[in-house]
Amino acid sequence: MKEMDNNYNRRQADAKVPPVLECCGIERRFGGIVAVTGVDLSIRRGEIFGLVGPNGSGKTTVTNAITGFYPPNKGSIYLDGKDITGTAPHKVATLGVARTFQNLALFNGMSVLENILLGRHIHMKPGVFPTALYWWLARPEEMRNREVVEEVIEFLQLESIRNELVDGIPIGLKKRVELARALVAEPHLLILDEPMAGMNQEEKGYMARFILDARAERGISVLLIEHHMDVITGICDRMLALNYGEMIASGLPKEVVKDPRVVDAYIGGAHG
Amino acid sequence: MDLILLAELAVNGVLTGLLYSLFAIGLVLIYKASSVPNLSQGGLTMAGAYVVLALAHDMGLPLWVAIPLAAVVMFVFGMGIERVALRRLAGRPVVMILMMTLGIDIFLRGTTLAIWGGTSRSVDLGVSYEPLFVGDILVSRIHLLGAAVAILLFVVFVLFFRTRLGIRLRAIADDYMASWSVGISVERGVGLSWGLASIVAVSAGIIWGEIQGVDQSLSLLLLKGLTVAVLGGLDSIFGAVLAGIILGIIENVGSAYLDPFVGGGSRDLIMAAVLILTVMLRPHGLFGRTDIERV
Repeated sequence: MKEMDNNYNRRQADAKVPPVLECCGIERRFGGIVAVTGVDLSIRRGEIFGLVGPNGSGKTTVTNAITGFYPPNKGSIYLDGKDITGTAPHKVATLGVARTFQNLALFNGMSVLENILLGRHIHMKPGVFPTALYWWLARPEEMRNREVVEEVIEFLQLESIRNELVDGIPIGLKKRVELARALVAEPHLLILDEPMAGMNQEEKGYMARFILDARAERGISVLLIEHHMDVITGICDRMLALNYGEMIASGLPKEVVKDPRVVDAYIGGAHG
Repeated sequence: MDLILLAELAVNGVLTGLLYSLFAIGLVLIYKASSVPNLSQGGLTMAGAYVVLALAHDMGLPLWVAIPLAAVVMFVFGMGIERVALRRLAGRPVVMILMMTLGIDIFLRGTTLAIWGGTSRSVDLGVSYEPLFVGDILVSRIHLLGAAVAILLFVVFVLFFRTRLGIRLRAIADDYMASWSVGISVERGVGLSWGLASIVAVSAGIIWGEIQGVDQSLSLLLLKGLTVAVLGGLDSIFGAVLAGIILGIIENVGSAYLDPFVGGGSRDLIMAAVLILTVMLRPHGLFGRTDIERV
């Protein structure tokens, strides 16, 4: 597995493709509080990129800056080489960025299937003519949407709960439904905000498998925020560590986790 | 009391109840799309009636032109409320949005008072007030017309919430963050719901304006409309219609029996009792989603 991932990286580096996502000098303030400052990161095509840091270090703020929920006060964000700084969140979604949320954001009044179908929203082109001439114009689109949704349901093994209300299923499955909703959008960039929070070892293993498979089968680039270091070092190609809103280390996971500043931030250093 | 009188009270209760539903559908539309109880629906209804009057009486347009035109004007106005007043509040605590809608209601009452004064004006829909007997039961034609409009709007909106656009609004009501993240423009959706609720307000404004005259007291319909919407479940259009019918019957029949004992005025008492009991015993109403009570 490790071998394969490394080969993948080498090929990507050789190809010199532009990064899927590039952030330069991101700064975001809330009132007088500087949530993040001077954050640079770039994610290559097909890469799984880890973002770590203690609670309150600005990880979620970075993702919210990228996805347009809280546009950065300074710095720029490029998606596939195109400047998307300050673009409205629903437009960022149409550009091929899908995300999941740390605290879940599902449509609780709807079924699992309806939630996942809504993930296809950016690919649905409703109009008066296609609707009026449903059988000729809208049906092929509808079929295509259904196909993608069914494929993802099978991939994430959600078949047995497809018609259940999202409100009533356990949190591990909710996280999976959220991932499904993000995947059906067929994104180039998938942002996962603590997808394994509150999961046991087995569920974590499943989720890690799903993320690796999503990359392998769909060529998706992933920005993964996680606290579980074993997951980060296990599946990420490169990573970035934040503390108090600033970058403290970036590079290959096995190097970053040994960086004294990272060790310090996570378990507290033995300095006097 | 004989059976015929009881039947008459009940039938007219149903019709009046449907008129409350007509008003409450506007409340439900906004609640369904943004999870905000709109306290300015009364003001919007009154404003809708005034706009019809301005176009029909002041500018001399025929009613069949004035009413659709007023619907367009109010649709744009409703969208405007979202754009100007509510967009900046997206994601803020619901209580702030609630206060904003209350402010809009007071603003509308003040504005109409300043422009058109407080004298009650009539709409003159041209509906006859000749008695209409269905069997032995006397019914009011204008109430009948209003009930028909309420049922028509009910059907239209039930179908609407099954379209993609309608599902989008339901998604927005569920979760703003999730909607944005799948590419739905929350702002546009909420604006649309305000626009649609304003159109409903025009229809309710015309019917109620015809019945009780157009003045600032039209906005007090909010109290009855809110009771109906809460009993129905706030996010259920079917609930609003059924709750309207139930309340209409209880109010009409109940007050006929109670009034002789308390010397009149028991209608409002019945309404208040229903609202308080609903919130105490069944906060999500008859047909609302159960998680509403968490709000």
